[in-house]
Amino acid sequence: MAEVINLITIAEGARISTINGATAEVVNNPKDGVWVFAKYLTSPEDPDLVGSEDMIFAQDIAEVLT
Amino acid sequence: MSNSHANGSHRANGHSIADMVDLASGTVSREIFVNEDIYAQEQEQLFARAWLFVGHESQIPKPGDFFVSCMGEESVILCRDRESQIHVFLNSCTHRGMKVCRYDEGNTPVFSCPYHGWSFATDGKLAGVPYFKDAYKGELDKSQWGLIEVPQLRNYKGTVWATWDKDAPSFEEYLGGYRTYLDFLLDTWDGAGGETEVFGGIEKWVIPCNWKFPSENFVGDRYHNISHRSVDLVGAGPSGSGRRDTQERVGATALDFSFPERGHGTISFLRPNDGPIPSYQHSKIVSDYFAHCENERRKNYGKWSRFIPGPGTVFPNFSYLPRQPRTIAVWHPRSPESHEAWRWFLVDKNAPAEVKEFLRKYYISYSGPAGLTEQDDMENWNYAHNASRGAIARRYPYNYQMGMGHDAPSFDADGLELPGLVRNVTVAKAAEQNQRGFYSRWADFLRASNWDELASWRNGHSNGAKFHNGAAARAGSAL
Repeated sequence: MAEVINLITIAEGARISTINGATAEVVNNPKDGVWVFAKYLTSPEDPDLVGSEDMIFAQDIAEVLT
Repeated sequence: MSNSHANGSHRANGHSIADMVDLASGTVSREIFVNEDIYAQEQEQLFARAWLFVGHESQIPKPGDFFVSCMGEESVILCRDRESQIHVFLNSCTHRGMKVCRYDEGNTPVFSCPYHGWSFATDGKLAGVPYFKDAYKGELDKSQWGLIEVPQLRNYKGTVWATWDKDAPSFEEYLGGYRTYLDFLLDTWDGAGGETEVFGGIEKWVIPCNWKFPSENFVGDRYHNISHRSVDLVGAGPSGSGRRDTQERVGATALDFSFPERGHGTISFLRPNDGPIPSYQHSKIVSDYFAHCENERRKNYGKWSRFIPGPGTVFPNFSYLPRQPRTIAVWHPRSPESHEAWRWFLVDKNAPAEVKEFLRKYYISYSGPAGLTEQDDMENWNYAHNASRGAIARRYPYNYQMGMGHDAPSFDADGLELPGLVRNVTVAKAAEQNQRGFYSRWADFLRASNWDELASWRNGHSNGAKFHNGAAARAGSAL
């Protein structure tokens, strides 16, 4: 089982990867433990997402990269 | 529970409302304080239709600021969105009902439900839905599942009010002529129209009695002064005697104001044309500040500076003290047996820091769970409620007959237009006109089907805006 990520500790500016293989930079963390606001950096499955900001659900986050 | 019109009479849980609130005889049944079914009916008939105070705009100065409040039993979120618009939402996820905010106050970009993760922006829109594409196939219409918002909201001089009834009249119409008296609480001390703010920290505590005990107390109960004798002996007032500076009431005409068609009421005093009365003698800075304010008040208010406002209640559960201390209390119903009391403490925004600090200490020593005066009141309400619950006790109504059938003396209002039913109680010391008005309106809400019926003033009935003086005040009134 993959390590559970504690969203509360993710700082703005951190880079994350998603379970769909995208990467994104956290722009705002409401620290609710459920969501972060992030800007997509790469998105192989849906390239149109790159550059857009969206809310990313905790269970869709695969890893904190930096 | 029922609100039937069988046989032409309105009933609540088998009890005739006319019998329970019998203003012709001046009695009110104990059932309306202790009966669970009547309590449930109040939530639907009264709290879901009346205008209710939610909070003060100074509690949410920045975008994303929120304050969790109540409207009746409902938890609501008062918040300011990213565009600085103020909203009031039901604090309940539209998916499964979980509270989306469990903090008292704070700042956030979103309200996220911890149950399944639905997330709502500060404008109420549904912003985040877990597995939106995978589980909902992108088909969920997010625009239909935002937070439930009150249909009407009004920011009145910094106080935020809301109602769940889209057909309720505007807040100003709801207030009617009572607005004149409420303004004395909300305007600055000097009457110049500046801003008011609340001290940080809202005091909240549970009182084991029905919410109507404190509401009727503040609507105009001068009679209970005896219960504050102990705190007067302590001399906790800001000049070293009594519980407040009462000198301004000496020699004044004591007036009660009732708005039976709306339920509001207050007691006040009309001073003679004389000089300023010293106050806050315990602190030179504070005393000088209020002396300055009083001089400005006389310039700004003119004749109205003779008017010394007192405690009041905006129907149904917003009560206040406008001067010493200057506070707002809301009595949130929790059951027939208990309510949560919440207290806000008001101060002029531009008052010096030393004055604010002095007032903060004085206010919390007077009001709130640790306040000496409030403790006196709570003791009475607690035991009155408890002693009214039993099967035998419920058979016997409370007495609200004081002043009925007797004219009040006339007085010289010096040309002031004083809205409402005005009763001069200078000689009598007290009357129960205001309490009768409060319960008359309570009965209206339990009887009426909608606001067309509740807005009786639109049908040519008394609108509370006509000046009534002495005996004329009671002409044609059962109060």
